[in-house]
Amino acid sequence: MSHSFEINSLQIENLTIMRQQTPLLSLNETIKGGEVLTIMGPSGSGKSTLLSWLTGMLPKGFKADGQLYLNGANITKVASYQRNIGLLFQDALLFSHLSVAGNIAFAMPKSDNKARAIKISQALADVGLAGLENRQPESLSGGQQARVALLRVLLSQPKAILLDEPFSKLDSQLRQETRQLVFEQIRQHQLPVIMVTHDESDAIAANGKVFHLKTPQQDI
Amino acid sequence: MSHNLTSNFLNTPPLKNGTKRLDTLFSAVVKFSPKLLVAILILPVLGGLLGVFLPAFGWLPALDRTQFGLQGFQQLIQTPGIAQMIGLSFFSSIISGLLAFIMTILLLANYFDSPWLARIQGFLGPILVIPHAAAAIAIAFLITPSGMIARLLSPWLTGWQSPTDWLLPHDPYGISIIMGLTLKELPFLLLMTLSAIAQPDLNLKLRAQYRVALSLGYYPITAFFKAVLPNIYPFMRLPMLAILAYASASVEMPLILGPNTPPTLAVAIMNWFHDVDLSLRIKASAGAILQLFITLSVLLTWWLLEKTTQAIISKSLSNGQRTYGDTFWTKIINIFTLLLSCFITLALLGMVFWSFAGYWQFPLALPGQWVITHWQSALLQIQTPIINSLSIGLVATSIALILTLLTLEFEKQNGAQLSRFSSVIIYLPLMIPSIAFLFGLVWLQEAVHSKATFINVALTHLLFVLPYVFLSLATSYRLLDPRYAQVAAGLGASPIKIFLQVSLPQLLMPIMMASALGLAISFSQYLPTLLVSGGRLNTVTTEAVSLANGASRRTSAVYALIQMLLPAIAFSLIWLMSMRKKRQKAQAKRNNKTASYITKVNR
Repeated sequence: MSHSFEINSLQIENLTIMRQQTPLLSLNETIKGGEVLTIMGPSGSGKSTLLSWLTGMLPKGFKADGQLYLNGANITKVASYQRNIGLLFQDALLFSHLSVAGNIAFAMPKSDNKARAIKISQALADVGLAGLENRQPESLSGGQQARVALLRVLLSQPKAILLDEPFSKLDSQLRQETRQLVFEQIRQHQLPVIMVTHDESDAIAANGKVFHLKTPQQDI
Repeated sequence: MSHNLTSNFLNTPPLKNGTKRLDTLFSAVVKFSPKLLVAILILPVLGGLLGVFLPAFGWLPALDRTQFGLQGFQQLIQTPGIAQMIGLSFFSSIISGLLAFIMTILLLANYFDSPWLARIQGFLGPILVIPHAAAAIAIAFLITPSGMIARLLSPWLTGWQSPTDWLLPHDPYGISIIMGLTLKELPFLLLMTLSAIAQPDLNLKLRAQYRVALSLGYYPITAFFKAVLPNIYPFMRLPMLAILAYASASVEMPLILGPNTPPTLAVAIMNWFHDVDLSLRIKASAGAILQLFITLSVLLTWWLLEKTTQAIISKSLSNGQRTYGDTFWTKIINIFTLLLSCFITLALLGMVFWSFAGYWQFPLALPGQWVITHWQSALLQIQTPIINSLSIGLVATSIALILTLLTLEFEKQNGAQLSRFSSVIIYLPLMIPSIAFLFGLVWLQEAVHSKATFINVALTHLLFVLPYVFLSLATSYRLLDPRYAQVAAGLGASPIKIFLQVSLPQLLMPIMMASALGLAISFSQYLPTLLVSGGRLNTVTTEAVSLANGASRRTSAVYALIQMLLPAIAFSLIWLMSMRKKRQKAQAKRNNKTASYITKVNR
């Protein structure tokens, strides 16, 4: 076996994903903590299928060969909720039935409530959202929601993070700020990251390896 | 960020044993629930059918008949008026179904692109939850010789000074039954169609195609028939068949509005089963089999009608004709809509008047005296029936909700919808006439546990509540954005936590809606309550039906109104809740504007 047992790393080993009988994509990559692997490709090239395999939610009709290692442990067959892989989408997807603090608390490990509340307030203050604990998610602006979503993922103590077109719904000024914040936080926490995007500037800002998926062969 | 958020992420504590056991249990329950759902629907129906089949062919050990034979069917054929019974059942269902269908598509065609469609929907929606029995009573009051219509037209038009003997209701041709059924079926069909075409993708497509047809010079109604209806009809077929199956074997409407000599077949079967002469049970069972064939032939007739119509009009769809007297039809449909609304309003108003009427001389349109004694005395007697209705409804609806939610969760976890087989089974209790299997079911229940009347009734209600609860929740559950669950799983939430804390709170309104619907369906059940309890458990509906043909029209009006009020209260509560939610959302949006303003100022 060739995989190195590095601490913080996400390793995709000899992955091939098939749709029915036709191969859709192949990938063999190792992402170290603090690094970003950017996946680019046109729609239909299998970007979201790859993400769903990484999270253990491959839809019916697809088959996958290959192994996934997180910090040296093989998690190919581990249930999605026990993988410790956090997800960020283009929509913040905050739970509208919970407050801002409730959304973050939902993600945090169980412990003393007071300690958790203090941690949440500190984290909110750190990203410029001090005092918004009890607000409803809908009452926040798009950029504020994106930052709460980021905090929610980070405070769940993930071991890796997947970004699915994370900035494509933000306007350009906000986009740069949010992107900077996300990458800064991820590097600080030394987390391996896979980002799916079709925006060239995201790839440049990520400053890491870029993998291009091919256009799918058209069936005649 | 100065402090390290993930300082201890490498040594996450291992999952506690208890949590793990709960997860395994939950996944087992979720895996099991679709099977349980199918079993709960299919076993009673099949068992009930068997319990009717055996006696129909002469096997009834309770009467010491253990020889198979055809005496039941012979007796059935020799019944006087049997041909009329069959004819009444067949034609009243097919004609009312056809009328409801034609009215629905005319309303859709005329108001497809107009704000009036939403208004008509809002007006007809409440009628959907009015129990059949109450609707039948309201219509009977309207068309009877001393009813609202006769009062409004007399004496200036008719010259009547006292109620004249005329055909309606209880006419031998089933016209009153057809009126009653049509009026109940129309809202059902219209709302089912509207909710089907409200799916975002389909809606956009249909509206775009409609606009294209208009821009090509097609008149609005013609555009609807040529460009929209062919795409909508597939969504109408199943509700249509459910309507026809129900109408061909319904009991409440013919009992209250139909003729007595002879009645429809379904009513006759019920009478035979209830006869003190137990040997009539064999004839009744044979009748139930005949009823199955009648329902089947109604459905087949509809299918034939559909195919013939399709074959005839398929060419004219593209013949290029832009109008078929559209302006004329618009006028006709507008007038018809107005008349229909008047008819419904009058029926309801008439019932309210009767419930408060003291002395009310014909042909005055308003009672001469207003009294509340009918309400007072009814409210004293109706407490037990109300409690029965509520408790049966709550038990049946809760079981239906839990099963439905778990089954839909199974679908979501497996990323696939139920098998075709299961989706057909869900419609089974709606398609098979209840009169054909309920007697067999009662016989089975008596054999298994005869004492548990309440549970037996609640479980039988479940058969009819479950399909509606499932259908009303399935769409919202399947439309739920799957990424919320994915995000939650990424945050380490277990499936049961996702189910309870992410999916269910997001579905709060649809769940409340489905509960109200389930309660309304349970409240309205007449035959299952009567048969399964053997008359030992009175609900508001059984009381209202037994009073409908009784001496006091005033008492009957009060009971029918209470019967309507129960589901109305449930739905009003939901409506209030949704209004509150909307207000909160609007408030949040306003806060949002202030928030972004503050952020900009701070920058």
